[in-house]
Formats: sequence, C-alpha cells, structure tokens
Amino acid sequence: MDQDATRRKVIAGLTAGLGVASLPRTGFAAGRKLKIALSNSYIGNEWRIEMENLFKAALQMEPYKSQVEGSWFNSGNNVSQESQQISGMIAERMDAILVDSASPTGLNGIIQQAHARGILVISFDNVVTTPAAIKVNTDQVKFGETLAAWLARKLDGKGNVIMVTGVAGTTVNEDRNKGADMVWRKHPGIKVVNRYAGNWDSATAEKNTAAILPSLPKIDGIWCQGGTDGVLKAFIAAKRTPLPPTAGEAENGFRKFMLGYMGQKVDGLSIGQPPYLVLVALELARRILHKTYPRRDITIPFPFVTDATVKVGETVFPHLPDSFFTDFTDSGPHAVVKICVDAATKGTPCPGRLTVHLPKA
Amino acid sequence: MPPETSSLTLPRGSRLGHTIAQNIGLILAGSILLLAILGFVLIYALEQHRLPGNFELTSTVNSAMPLVFAAVGQSFVVLTKGIDLSVGGVVDLANAMAAVTMGKTLGSALLWSVVILFVGAACGLLNGLLVGLGRLQPIVVTLGTLSIFQGLAIRVLPQPGGAIPPSFTDLLVNPNAPYALIFIVLLGLGWAAFRRSRPGVDLYAIGNDEAASRTLGVNVLRTKIIAYMLDGLLAAAAGLFLAASATAGDATTGDSYTLTSIVAVVLGGVSLFGGRGSAIGAIAGALITTLIVDILFFGHVDPLFQSFYEGVFLLIAVVAGGVIGGAIRRRR
Amino acid sequence: MTVPAAIAACSVSKSFGGVRALTKASFAADSGSVHALVGENGAGKSTLIKILGGRIAPDEGEVLADPALRIGIVFQELTLLPYMRVADNLLLGREPRSHLGLIDRAAMPGLAERSLAELGITHIDPRALAADISLAERQIVEIARVILASPGILLLDEPTSALVEREVAWLFARIRALRAAGTAIVFTSHRWAEIAAIADRITIFRNGSDVGSFDSIDETEAITLMTGRRLEALFPARPPAPDGAPALELAGARAAGTAQLDLALHPGEILGVGGLAGHGHRALFFGLFGAPGFIEGALRVAGKPRRIRTPRDAIRAGIALVPEDRKSEGLFLPLKVRDNLTLPILRRLSRLGAIDLGAERRIASDTIARLAIRTPSAAQPVGALSGGNQQKVLLGRWLLTKARILLLYDVTRGVDVATKHEIYELVVRLAREGYAILFYSSDAEELAHLCRRVLVMRRGAIVADLPAEQLSAEAIVSAAMREAADAA
Repeated sequence: MDQDATRRKVIAGLTAGLGVASLPRTGFAAGRKLKIALSNSYIGNEWRIEMENLFKAALQMEPYKSQVEGSWFNSGNNVSQESQQISGMIAERMDAILVDSASPTGLNGIIQQAHARGILVISFDNVVTTPAAIKVNTDQVKFGETLAAWLARKLDGKGNVIMVTGVAGTTVNEDRNKGADMVWRKHPGIKVVNRYAGNWDSATAEKNTAAILPSLPKIDGIWCQGGTDGVLKAFIAAKRTPLPPTAGEAENGFRKFMLGYMGQKVDGLSIGQPPYLVLVALELARRILHKTYPRRDITIPFPFVTDATVKVGETVFPHLPDSFFTDFTDSGPHAVVKICVDAATKGTPCPGRLTVHLPKA
Repeated sequence: MPPETSSLTLPRGSRLGHTIAQNIGLILAGSILLLAILGFVLIYALEQHRLPGNFELTSTVNSAMPLVFAAVGQSFVVLTKGIDLSVGGVVDLANAMAAVTMGKTLGSALLWSVVILFVGAACGLLNGLLVGLGRLQPIVVTLGTLSIFQGLAIRVLPQPGGAIPPSFTDLLVNPNAPYALIFIVLLGLGWAAFRRSRPGVDLYAIGNDEAASRTLGVNVLRTKIIAYMLDGLLAAAAGLFLAASATAGDATTGDSYTLTSIVAVVLGGVSLFGGRGSAIGAIAGALITTLIVDILFFGHVDPLFQSFYEGVFLLIAVVAGGVIGGAIRRRR
Repeated sequence: MTVPAAIAACSVSKSFGGVRALTKASFAADSGSVHALVGENGAGKSTLIKILGGRIAPDEGEVLADPALRIGIVFQELTLLPYMRVADNLLLGREPRSHLGLIDRAAMPGLAERSLAELGITHIDPRALAADISLAERQIVEIARVILASPGILLLDEPTSALVEREVAWLFARIRALRAAGTAIVFTSHRWAEIAAIADRITIFRNGSDVGSFDSIDETEAITLMTGRRLEALFPARPPAPDGAPALELAGARAAGTAQLDLALHPGEILGVGGLAGHGHRALFFGLFGAPGFIEGALRVAGKPRRIRTPRDAIRAGIALVPEDRKSEGLFLPLKVRDNLTLPILRRLSRLGAIDLGAERRIASDTIARLAIRTPSAAQPVGALSGGNQQKVLLGRWLLTKARILLLYDVTRGVDVATKHEIYELVVRLAREGYAILFYSSDAEELAHLCRRVLVMRRGAIVADLPAEQLSAEAIVSAAMREAADAA
C-alpha cells in the first residue's frame, strides 16, 4: 500500500509537472480494493435517489463487495462545490471517479486535472464535454425520436400532438426535442399544437398542463419528456377523457395508467433514462482498471415498455408511489442489468451476484 | 468664569482596546479562518495519514477564487447598507461571454477579459443608478436585474460550451501551484487603497447614516454608483475565474454566488446594517466558506447532511460573532 | 443698517406639505456678534437655520450672505456617523493625505487630538467610535467639527440641549473666542439663562415670524412675546405634603455604578433628584426600570419586596419610566399617536384576539384631551410632534397602564417654555391624583419649584436631602458642587 502510494505520488508528480495527458497504470496487486467515488451533483429528485441507492446496493454485492471500496458525495447542484469535492477525491487518490455532473462544462477543468493525475473519470447521465472523461449514457436524440415514432405510428401519421419538454438550456432537453422534430418532419399530418416545459417534474408538468389545456383543441397524442403522470392527471382533471395515446417517461404513475388507474387506461410507450447508468459506469470503471475492457465511451439502449408488455412487479409497481422510476432495472432477454426493487428503494443488496453486461469490447 | 471650565479633561481607554473593539468583526473572521484551516489540516491528516500538500493548497485556493472576488464585490454594496442579489447573474454573464469570445490565444483572452470587466461594471452601473437615482430598495432592484443578467447570459451562451484558452486558465488558476494567492494579495492591497480614498470614506459614511452623510456634504449618489460598479466589476472577475477553472462556459453555474457571496460577507464580519466591516473580512469569509466544503468532504460527513452542517456552521459563526463582539463593546 | 450684515434672511416663507413653518420671517446677524433666536418649538427657528445654511430653499424671500464667509452649521439632530471613529467624524472631507495621495488613516487620531486640544477638549478619545461616547460628548464633537472648519458664520441649533453646566461653559468660551475673532454666530436655546449670558442680540419668533429684535430683554417680556400671552407663573403650586405608607422604598440598594441608596417615595409626592449629569441619576432611574438592575439591598413596592431585573418586571410592579431621549427609548416615531398610546394595553382592548378599534379610538382621544397633547389628530405620526408633546404621548401611554410610580427623567430637556409649563401642571396634577413621582431634572430651578424634597446625588451617592424650607436652585447646585469646590 505504502509502496503503491509512493509510486503513484511519483506518477502524479510527473504528470502534473510535465503536463502529460496520462500515463499507463500498471495492474493492481491482488487483494487491494479499487477506490471508486461517486460525485452526484444533487439528490433532489426520485431519480437521483434511486441512482445513488443502486450504487450503494451494488457496493454490497459481488463482485464489487470484495473488489471496490466505494464512497459517494452530493453537492446541492452547485458546480463549484462539486468541483471542489472532485478535487478532494483527487487528494484522496481515488482510482476512479464517477460523475453525474451539475454542468456539462463546469467540471471540465477539475476533470482534466484528475485525468492528468492518472485518475479514471467516468461521466454518466448529465455528461461533461471534456475528452478527459469517459462517457456512459443513452442516446437522447434517439429517446425523442423513439417516442415520436411510436406516436406517429399509433396516430397513423395525423393528428394534434402536444410536446411537454424538459428543463430549458440543458443538452438532454434539446437533444430529445431534436429527435422528436426529426420524426414530425417526416409526418406532415401531425401537428404540434403546443410545446411547453414540464421540467421533468410531475407537479410542474401537471400545473403547466392544467393552465394550457383550456386553450387547446382536441389532443390526439401526448409526447412527454418527463412528468408524464402529471400530464395525464391534468387531462383527467379537465375531463379530457378518454386519455389520448401517450409517449412518455418511466414514471411508475404513467405505467399504472397503462394497467388502468384513476378509472382510465392509456395506450402508451414508456422509456426512461435508466438510473442503472451508474451501475454501467461502475462496471466500466472496474473493468478498465482491471484492464479487461478498453477505455471507450459507452451508449446503452433504453429500456422500454408499452401497454402490451408492462408487467406488475417487474416494470410497474402498484404499491410504490407514482413518482418512482420503474426503469431502475432492465428487463427481457438482452437486459443490460437486472436488479431487485429493494436495491433501488432502500439501497440494500439483492441476493446473488450482480452482472452488468457491457457492450462487446 | 474660572479658566479651567473652558477645557474638559477626563481619563479614557487604551489604544489597543479601541483597535480590538473596532475591528472585532475582522478579528473574529480571521480567527474562524485559522480554526477552519487547522480543522481542515487535522481532519485531512486523520483521514489520509499525511499532511495536505501543494495540490490541496492549490485546489482550495483555486476553488475559492471566484467566491473571493464575488464576496469582495458584495461587501462594497453591503457596506452602503445595500445588498446585491444580482451578483450571480453578473457571474453568469461574464462566464458565458468568456466562453464565447475568448478564442484560442492568451492575447484575445486578455483583451476580452477587459471588455467583460467593463460589462460587469456596466451591470453595476445599472444597479447603482436604479438604487441611487431611483431611490429604490436595493433588494428589489437587484432581484430584478438578477433575472435580467441571467437571461442575457443564456442568450449569450444558450447551451454550456465554448472554450477558454489553457494559457488563460494557467494564468488565473494555475493547477500546479497556488499562484492565485497573488490575486488575493492584490485584491487586499486594492481594498486598502480604496479605503483610503474619498469614495472609500464616503462608502462607510453613507452606510453609517445616509441622511447625515448627505448633510455633511457626502456625494451619496456618486458613492453608491461607485460601490455598485466595483461590485459588478468584481463579480465579472469572479465569472472569469469560474470560466478559467471550468475551461469552458455555462450560463447557470454562477447562480450560486449570489447566496454564497452574502454568506461569505456575513462570515467575514461585515454588518448587513451597513457601515461596519471590511472587504478583508469578506476575503476571509470566502476562504472559510470554501474550507467548510473541504472539511465536510474529508470528514466524510453523510452527503445528505452537508447543507445542514453548512447552515449550522454559518449560524454558529454569526451568533458567536454577535455575542463576542457585543461582550467586548460592553466591557469597555 | 449701515454695515451690511454677515447673513440675512429677507421675508422668507417656507411650507412643508401644507404646514407653514415660516411666514415672511426676516432676520440679520452681524460679524463679531452672537445673535440668539428664541421661540417656542415649532416657531420656525430650526427651519430658519436650515434656510440660512442653504440646506433647504425658501418658498419665498431670499437669503443674503457674505460670499467670502464660510457657513458652519450645528444641527439640532446629531449628524455623527456612529460606527466611525471620532477622528473620522471630525475630519470628514478634510482628511490628511499621505505622499501617495491616499488618506492617512493612521495620522488622523493624532491630528484630531491636536485639533481638539486647541479647542480645549482633551477628554474625548479620537480613536473611539462615535457610538461609544456619551450623548454630550457627541454633541461636543459635532460642535468641534464645525468650529474646526473655521466658519465665518456659525449657526448653532440648540447646541446645549445635551450639555451639562461645565460643557456649556466650555462652549460659551469657544463662542466668545470666535466672536472676538469676528465670526457671526446665530444660536438657539430654550434656556433663558444661557441666552442672557451670551447673546448680544435676541430675535424672538412666534408662529413662523419674527416678532421683535432686542439688545436686551427680560425673561417675562420675552416669554410673553414668544407665547403671545403672559405666563403668570411658569410653575404651578406644589402638591400638598404626602402622607401614608411609601409606594417605593430603597434600603441599601445599589444600582450599577452607584453607592448604596436609601429613599422612600410616597403616593402624591414629587420627589426631586438633582445634581450634575453623570453622577448616578441615570443608573438609579433606569435601574428602577429594570435596566442592568439593582445588585444588592432591598427594594419594596407598596411595602412588598420586589425583584426588578427587566423592564417587564418593572411594569408588573407598576413602575413607568419616561426618559429624556424619547426617540431612542420608547416611542415608535413613524406610528400614529394612537398606536403609540395604546400599544401596551392592546391585549386589554382585544376581544377574541381582534382589537376593539372603537374602544382604542375612544381611549386615545380621551388621553390626548387629558394631557393636552397638541396634535392635529390621533392618526398623526408621533415623529411629527414637537419634543414636549412626544414626551406627553409617552407619559400618556404609561398612565393607561396600571403604573402608579412614575420615574420622570429630565422630561423637559429641549422642550419649549409653554410646553414645559403644561408638563409642570400635568406632573402636579398627577401627584394630586395620587401618583408617586420620582423627578430628575438637569434644571435646578424646576426641582426647586415643583418638589417638596430634593435628593442631590454626587458620585453615585445621595449627598443631600433638601427639605422644602431650604429649597432653592442655588442650594441644589451648591450641594451638587460642594465637593468639587472643596477640592479646588
């Protein structure tokens, strides 16, 4: 340990002094745990809580239990604070840092410094722009596109559609909208009658929908980036029933509507940004540090569920709150990862070994 | 009438006593800073089994730089008995402009830095005119301009991106050594000179009693405009430091500086009632605020309770400051 | 006038929001003379001073001033900046510069010290914050600041209101020196003795106009001109000698900074307390009202032992305090007269948490009538009333509570003659109604005429107990000064 620390100090000194991008790391002595830290920009919503819980659960499951010494930090959505915490992680000489960033660019400087000191940085979900970090994410353009394509097919290429967008100014929001717009262009019969922000939040989406609904004509389809259950509840409150086909996020509440909820049943497609991105990032870090996987960015497919495939206890949970994100686990034969619900809700380990399938190297 | 009645003589207090009592806020801020440094070193040593070195010093100083500038700017306005909520907006605007304009060379980066500092001063001018000429409440004015500046920042840089030349980053927040301390020293010297200028004295005068100052011939409007302009300029400088450390721009990352700059000013012993305190204290307050994050990090405090502890530290510091300051004043 | 005056106002008029402060007032002051402006509060003296000083512009008329002469003004309201050093205040706008062109803060206390010493002031520390020195010292610093600017015309608006005898003597010495040097001095005061001692010429104001200028005039005549009616007697007849058990007793009680005090105050009595300022009166009065309180000895109210640690304890014991500095100690200036009066009894006026507004109005107007508070309406902000009437509002508020022991601490300071008279009558009437009144005044004449007994304090101890037959202003002052005279 001491020897190793000394060596890494030398490497760090060299890399810092010479400004060399990175030096190859030698393999880790057997028995020494990898130090991996999670830097989470904030813990203010259900998604982030599930994500952090999954990370905590994984640390208590094999192979991570015996191979990884993990830690996690939140920064109140404050970029400077997150940056400062990452510099703390550099000082603590982490082997790898997993980052869900408060800003796509705000952490670039400190991540470059970590990289220069030989620390593996993996950025997931809200990814950063610097090439010094490896990215793990889904394809957000594809997200918007998939939702829109499903809706277009469902409506036979014509009808009035509303778009409930996310937080303005974020890349994810722009990308998702871009994907949808690509599809609308191919279907001139589909008219986007309104486009307003739901901020990925059920309460906001419900409030904004309620405010705007009286001014809208008959709606044939809903395209929603997030807060989908809120949008549907606003429709019910305004007596705009039966509910139109809805392409939306992976909120438990939305999926309950697919089963039949509040006296309504909706045809829908539910895609989510999966909280298990953190598990992919963790697995990638472990594999790269063990030199069994190349250093490269990973894009994983979306887990998706329709009213035809939704399954109680697996992809929808009637006893859990509407705001719960049901895509903490993948499903089906080609699942990226499968994990039990307690891991997402409580951060407790599931029985057995945790297997995360990375794309073929 | 006997001659002795035309002169008045009585005993009085010691010089040192006065100095301590009058600078109690500053002395307390300095003591808290020392405690924070000691606490940090102690916790670091306990957790890491070694002492913090060059990297820790450098990264702490670099992280503190934007807040140091924003807090000094804020202190100018607070000393006039005002408050500037638009600091975060100016930081955003400067940050966004820097990322969009700076290009690839140090030369263009420096040139644009000057332009950006002017823009910051212009933002301050707007605040100053509204507060001074319009006789409006600073909290309302700057709440409004905060949104305006944030909106402008988003217009300049709708999505995070842009780039800062690495040479500019090395100049402002060199990652290899704490050269940025030089800027803190310069800021301190600049403050000392300002404090000894006409506007510096007038700043304190109007913070003490605006009506009386006006009676005494102090140019209240000019002083307020100067205070808000310097505040805007320093907030823009904070934005430049922020952009330099991030190496790119994001039009929202500066938002948090509105609140943290006020926290730093309060920790630094500057009275929100105006007329008491010093920008040196604000610098100390900014360093304390930064160190608290580090202490909580290395103390491995449960992340969920971090903001709780930050709040507790702030309240303890403010209450202790009030109690000790009051006790010393009463004793004399 | 053959020699042109240093400064003159020619039929100036000024209104503030419909209220006429000055109506065609004229006034002229010459170089090398002291000109006193006298009149009741609200007669327009302060407004005239501000107009002469160019701080406000007259609506009509004009001010002629010798352009070669610099004007210095000491305002009635102090303008010191509390959290700046005395030196910073003294030298504001005239700070010494170092060779870098920067203000030499370190040199300022020394310079201020020398400047003050030239004026004969060595007891005020230029390094202290203005907030940390006494009111009288602040007043002196204020005066010193203006004098140090060597004005050719010096306007002093009630400069002595916060000063005690020694300090007034100091000020008059300065004024004489300035007069000898050719300065034109305009001066206002409510203390006739001061005016008589220093003024070369006296102009009397009434209701915003000048009603006459004199080289000398006796007090009775001046008061007649000021008030427009003859005051037969300024002081009403004393209340009868009290009998019965004391309302308030102190036996060996010691307040912060006083010696052990013994006293007994009876219902229906006006017990005077006299002596020079700074000799423990304040500690006694404020201690009785619960400010850093009595630390030992016995305190009995209506025969029962009491502990008074906070003003709340004092109020519960039926003790009320009317201090001299009503602005900082008691009234809410922006609030209505009515609100100020009924504040402590709102709970009594409330039904189920809602204030009975009708009852509140009734009580307020009764009190205004009973105390003859001069206000256009009960809805007037207290800050707009004259000092004496503000004092009455504060007193009225206490009378509405169950207080039976009134501590009146120098309540007539800075109050004009007519209002003083009303306050005296009120105090005597209250005594007749059975209130027990402890009455401190810096004006020995007042004590001599209102009280049947006066306790004189010196160095925190009661050094004399003067009964009615020995009472005179001279007796009080000499008792207060005896030790000083012995030492000299």
